[in-house]
Order: sequence, then C-alpha cells, then structure tokens
Amino acid sequence: MSTPVISTDVQRMLDDMRDGIWQGRVPARIFNDQEIFELEREKLFAKAWCFLAHESEIPKKGDYVTRYIADNSIIVVRDEHGNVRANLNMCRHRGNVMCKSEMGNASHFRCSYHGWVYKNSGELIGVPYFKEGYEGQLDRKQWGLVPIRIDTYAGLIFGTLDPHAPSLDEYLGGFQFYLDIYLKQGANGSEVHGPPDHWIAETDWKICAENFSGDGYHTPVAHQFGFHLGYFPSSGSTHSEGWAVNIPGKGHGIGLGHTPGMPAFFGYPDELVKQMHESLSPEQLEVFSKTRTAVGSVFPNLSFLIQPFSLVPGEPGVRFCTMRLWHPIGPGRMEMWSWCLVPRDASEEYKEAAYKAYTLTFGQAGTFEQDDFENWIKVTKAAGSTLAKNIEFPYVMGLERPQLEDFPGPGHAVSPYVTDTNFRNLWSTWLDYLTREE
Amino acid sequence: MTVQLAGVDRDVRESIRDFLYLEALALDERRFRDWLEMFADDARYEVPVRVTREKLSEWELSPNSRIFDDTKETLDVRVKRLETDFAWSEQPPSRTRHFVTNVLVQPGERADEFLVLSNCMIYRSRGDETTPSLFSAQRRDVLRENGDGWLIVHRWAALDQAVVNAHNMSIFI
Repeated sequence: MSTPVISTDVQRMLDDMRDGIWQGRVPARIFNDQEIFELEREKLFAKAWCFLAHESEIPKKGDYVTRYIADNSIIVVRDEHGNVRANLNMCRHRGNVMCKSEMGNASHFRCSYHGWVYKNSGELIGVPYFKEGYEGQLDRKQWGLVPIRIDTYAGLIFGTLDPHAPSLDEYLGGFQFYLDIYLKQGANGSEVHGPPDHWIAETDWKICAENFSGDGYHTPVAHQFGFHLGYFPSSGSTHSEGWAVNIPGKGHGIGLGHTPGMPAFFGYPDELVKQMHESLSPEQLEVFSKTRTAVGSVFPNLSFLIQPFSLVPGEPGVRFCTMRLWHPIGPGRMEMWSWCLVPRDASEEYKEAAYKAYTLTFGQAGTFEQDDFENWIKVTKAAGSTLAKNIEFPYVMGLERPQLEDFPGPGHAVSPYVTDTNFRNLWSTWLDYLTREE
Repeated sequence: MTVQLAGVDRDVRESIRDFLYLEALALDERRFRDWLEMFADDARYEVPVRVTREKLSEWELSPNSRIFDDTKETLDVRVKRLETDFAWSEQPPSRTRHFVTNVLVQPGERADEFLVLSNCMIYRSRGDETTPSLFSAQRRDVLRENGDGWLIVHRWAALDQAVVNAHNMSIFI
C-alpha cells in the first residue's frame, strides 16, 4: 500500500487532535474530506479487521456472498469442505470481476473474459488453451484468487488486508463480552433473518459509527416522535440512565440504556431467557438483564442495536436486533448495509415479530432510521463546507467522570448513558491508525 | 407471468385506473390520512428486498427480507408519526410525484377482488437538493370493491434497484 501524501493543514489537524481529543475537541473536517477519506482507505481500512459476513448467510457448501473491504470486492464462501474462505473478487489473469451477484451457490467460479476457472476455495484449476498457449509457462498453483486473511467470532466473519494485524481476538480486546448480547441470543446464538437492505447515503460513515458507539444523547430529540406517540414509557426524564463502556485503545464502544422498573430481558420469550441463563456468564447476565437498549460498535464500522419494541405504541414488545455496516465509498458518501439478527432457537412467530419490529424501526423505511440519516446527511454536508475546516465540536461530556469501580464487565465503564467517553476513545483509536508509521 | 385480462369489463378497468390515480394524488398532496382510508382493514403493504443474483436463481426478490412489511395498523403508526412535528425525515416534506402507468386489471380470487399490475415511477425532491431520488417499481395490488369505490387489500411493490440511491425511504410507494 502506498502512503498518501498528506497536506500540511491536514497534518496539523491530525497533530492537534492528539491532545485535543482528550481535552474534548474533535475537528468537524474529519467528517467530510477527500484527504481523510484516502488516508482512511490506506491506513485504517487496509489495516483493521473489517466485517465481511455472518456465517448464517452462507450455511451450505458453495454458498457465497460478495462484500467489500474499502474498495476491494471480496467473495466470502463456504468451500466444499465446509470451511469459510474469503478471496479477492478479481480474476488473476486480467482482473475481471469473478462474481457479479451479491449471493448464490457455486462449486466453481469461471471468469467471463478468458475463462479461467477456480474452485470456490480459490485454487485455479482451469485455464483454456493451457497446453497450446502457455506451453508449460504458467504454474496454476501460483495464480489462485488472492486470499484474504479471515477470522470469526460467534458467527461474525471478519477479514483484514494486513498480514501483520494482531489476531481478531486481540483486536476485539474484551469487547466480545458485550457482543454476546447480540450474537448469543439463546443457546445456539443468532442468525440473519434474510439478506440485508442496502442503500446509498450522502453521509460520512464515521458519523454513524459514532452514533452507534453509544449515542444515547440523540434519542429523545432525533426520535422525539417515538416518545410523542408513546413508544417509550420511560420518557425523556429517565433516559440518561445506564452505562457507557469502551475498550481503551481499541475503539469499540457500547451504550447500555436502562429503564427503571423494566423486567429483566424484557421482550424475550421465557424459553430464550432460560437458555441465556445457562449460556451467558454471571457477569454478562448482570449487565444484560438490566439493559433496555444496547447500541454498540466494533471499530471501525460495524454496529449493533438491540431494543424491545412494540409495533403499536403501548403494547408489549419483542426484542429486535440489527447489525449494520457503514461502508465508505467516498468522502461524505457511504453504502449502508443493514441486517436483522434473530435468535436461532426462537419460534418462527417470534422471529417474524422481531423482524417486523426491525423493518418498522431500523430497516430502510424504518421510522427511526429515516430520522437518523436525515440528520446525518446534513452533518456531512456542513462538515464539508469551507468554514468547517477550522471548526471543532465539543466532546467534553463526561470528561471528568470517573470509571465505575465495581462494574462487572471488561473495559472502561461510566455512568450515565449519555456521555462522550466512548467517542473520545473512538476518535483516539481512529487517530492512532491514521498517524501510525508503517 | 401470464396475464389474464378477459372477464374484466371496461368500466371496472377505468374505475380502477382512476382509483390508482386518486391514490397517487393523495400521496403527492400529502393527504396521508385520506390515503390510509383507501386501505382495507385487513390490508398488507409489502416491499421486498431485491438482491442481484444469477439468471437462474430461485428468487431475486427476497422471500423473507422486506423494506416495508406493514399492516393497516402499522401504516397508521407511520401516518400518525408524519402528523407529529417531529418526523424530521419529512420536515420539510419531500415533494413527490407518483407516475402510475401500464395498468393491467385481472380477475382476483374473489368475485369482488381484482389483481392489478402497474408500473410506478416516483420522483422525490428534498430541500434545495437539485438531484432528485428516483424510484422505479412494479406494483401488484389486490383491490376490493367497496360500494362505488375500491379498497387496497394488498399493495406489493418491488423496486428495480438492488441498492437504493436514497438516504431513506420516508415516502410511500
């Protein structure tokens, strides 16, 4: 990877951020800038562990989906031995796209240009006119699809373009404890309900990643209609209650909102709660059972939300869970991928109810989703303006707030739920990547 | 798809076409409460997620992922939301224009119901943005006779884009 040339003013901005973040200041410019976008592509997305797919999207041998890390198209496949593999979606011969579909099932991939054929695991096995044309000059073993290093956690498949990146386990650094609230719903965990919605938004991915790292602060206003229609009996007055936890130096963060008096695991069927009492640790149970809303992000751009919700305000709800990827495709421009995760062991009726709650709230036409992106495109546009180049935003909320001493989970935990604590860690980690020497 | 047009008389066809135009007018004039009244109490409103797949795949429209998956009750929630002052995605409101064409009316499963195919192109303009969102969709509706008029029993609409070029779907199809 080449290191992009950094202009003096961007260099100065990044230098100032080093201390500025911990004094509670973040420059607006990072949220919509061509240079920052290029730096992120080379120094962040080429180095971090990036989310590719959930294992339940490719349950059978030969099942594949095509995904991205930065601008690289990647085929994620379950090979004929049942192992998950990821390869660059590019023929080694002249670079044509191998797989033009988002998903499917194939034992082999054949290039539509000159006809090179690969096993779904990536080995090159077929070359037209191999004898007549290549006359022994081509070693097929050398020219398989470019493999991408992958690792998994509880169904999540991540890939990294960096052969020297630390293990996924080390990268997650204890955040697994919190991810389990989304990934281990019931004894056999979670699965996707179906293929993701995806759409394009003139929004910088970082605005969304920050929001989902525990921005409980925006809810009473950005989603005010929800309180107004009676979706949240907790009302704005108790909304700040809860925890915010991050993994220092790793960038991951989660907000855990509480509602006083809400029964433990409200919204889940009893059977599932019983299973979770066996599959989760006592510390996890202590944290999760108090949680109404869990809104968290794996650095850099994979987020989750779990929340009890009723289709009609005031009725008993179900817990829906969404997983979302904020995929950057340009400065201030992204492709949104949004899935619904359901408990694998729940009844079909429950899964369907949870999915309906997801579509009404956080699907592409979701009532909550709509308002978020409406705000975020405006933030993005403003951040790209001339004056915004010299404007900073305050990140001082919770600056003096001490860490909770007896919190049962890993990481840096604070209370209340409304705080910038997670975001300071997020932008500090982001800065580490962007300024790291090769 | 086989389209069976026989057995539907001309008055019915014209009346249904008018109904679809009136429905589009209600949406474009943002008379959402009037629009909701055009749905039967047992109505379903569905927009499946489209997936780019190989030609011979079993499906291109996901059998289980949907952009909209509503009943009249949840449509009512959406309309109530739009009636508050806090539906930021529609504040200021989108300017929409629903262009409904290629209307084909077939007999339905019940004597008082008809299966209606149509194409719908939706233009949406927001704020001072000069680039509109364009949504092209095929609709497959079931309409039921209701006195002199009609009720939508099932609105099924499939967008032609697999990756939708709009930051949200805060409008109706």
